[in-house]
Amino acid sequence: MSAMTVLGERAMREARRTPDALLPTLLIPIFFLVVNVGQAAKIFPSDGTEFLEGQSYAAFQLPVSLLLAASFGTAALYLVEEVENGYFDKLRATPIPRSAIVLGRLASVALVSIGMTTIMVVLSLFFGVRIASGPIGFVLLVLLTAGWAIGYSGFLQVVALKTRSAAATNSAGLIFFPLLFLTPNLVPRDLLAPSMELAATLNPVTYVMEAMRALILLDHFDWAVVGIGFTVVGGFVAAVIALNVRTMNTYD
Amino acid sequence: MGLARLAPMTAVEAQGLVKTFTSRAGTVEAVRGVDLSVAPGEVFGFLGPNGAGKSTTVRMLTTLATITSGTARVCGIDVTSDPDGARRKIGVALQEAGLDPRQTGREILVLQGRLFGLSRADSAAQAKSLLELVELTDSADRLTKTYSGGMKRRLDLASALVHRPDVLFLDEPTTGLDPASRLVVWDEVRRINRAGTTVFLTTQYLEEADALCGRLAIIDNGRIVCEGSPSELKADLRRRRGLAADPTLDDVFLDVTGRHRERSAGDVKEVS
Repeated sequence: MSAMTVLGERAMREARRTPDALLPTLLIPIFFLVVNVGQAAKIFPSDGTEFLEGQSYAAFQLPVSLLLAASFGTAALYLVEEVENGYFDKLRATPIPRSAIVLGRLASVALVSIGMTTIMVVLSLFFGVRIASGPIGFVLLVLLTAGWAIGYSGFLQVVALKTRSAAATNSAGLIFFPLLFLTPNLVPRDLLAPSMELAATLNPVTYVMEAMRALILLDHFDWAVVGIGFTVVGGFVAAVIALNVRTMNTYD
Repeated sequence: MGLARLAPMTAVEAQGLVKTFTSRAGTVEAVRGVDLSVAPGEVFGFLGPNGAGKSTTVRMLTTLATITSGTARVCGIDVTSDPDGARRKIGVALQEAGLDPRQTGREILVLQGRLFGLSRADSAAQAKSLLELVELTDSADRLTKTYSGGMKRRLDLASALVHRPDVLFLDEPTTGLDPASRLVVWDEVRRINRAGTTVFLTTQYLEEADALCGRLAIIDNGRIVCEGSPSELKADLRRRRGLAADPTLDDVFLDVTGRHRERSAGDVKEVS
């Protein structure tokens, strides 16, 4: 069994033992879903709003909550803690590839994200949401969200390794909020004011969100939209993994 | 008899070891040309005041920090060109008892074994035997965040021994421990050494070096200022100063580092 798998198992045990850290990553996005739907559902009724494709506004909002749940980056905070308490050096003193130490954590992030996304989709059924693209669409939705979780946690892990500071890592995590709000998070892109539409077009999170929406709202696969979403996530994951490996290999 | 493994001439060897750190504030030379040679089976003490370069030297020898210039070998293996080879030969217990607070003692030892390439079964067996050795069997399945300082230190020691290293690096292993726990760690170090493991020990406690080390070096400002057995170093100072009785290792330390102690507002301060 590879070192990455062994370390991934350890990170999964850690996640299981810290439900107090996991619960907010589930409850806060659900809170956002409830609040956003409560505020805007009457403005966008399902039978008179074309972009909802016959579903409720909750279906349109679900990707926002899924992305939020995937962007907490708790794994990076555990990494900083290990740097501070010396366990990170203990792992670095073992004859394993340096990259396994960070990639093991990211593997567990992916598994946790798959679990969280599944729970959130099941809960969203109570809001009348259905995954119109069917079981394959659901799997793609889960994979896309897990990919984003790996990318975002990986980005925070790089910050953690560079700064070795929990405060700096925590602060870096907040960058997601401007990225989330500079998206078509309330209405489709073509209904945004021109300046916001430009900002959303330049923001890569937009394309991930639109791919998620396509999987939830459409009863067919709009591969152009879904493909761009996966390309953005794939590029993000590749970039942060490369950065993680480089940072580990030059860590002193 | 099969092919006998040739024992290296030295367990730890460093030549011209230099470490510089560059920051916005400028360049700091933490270690300025350290030469060391530790024979297999020794307990070697590496002493020095805070900031002298002890931990930085240990971090270079254990592959945890890059070497700015010079060379270091552990059991004949160059730590720069073959870091994984060197890691297989050494066990490391650093200043902080580096433990994962969300794992049990047993899980930490099993994980450590797996990372050193042991099978799951071998790793579990080795963990069981080490837990017995450091008397942590009863607490083996508790999360380490519930351990006392002494228990953490013993588990950290055990985790450094999982793969049966030839050389054990202990960086200030008793700092912060109460006197009773300190004695337990001393006993462990002696036992580990009797089993054939070379011990490279850094400490600020001179009585610890006196009690455990067969030979020691004192580092100050990144340079080794003296080296020898505790008795040789004391006899040398006695001869140079014409003292009537043997001085303590503390006297040797103050002499070679050019420091003295002053009492100020109830505290004793070391002044250079």
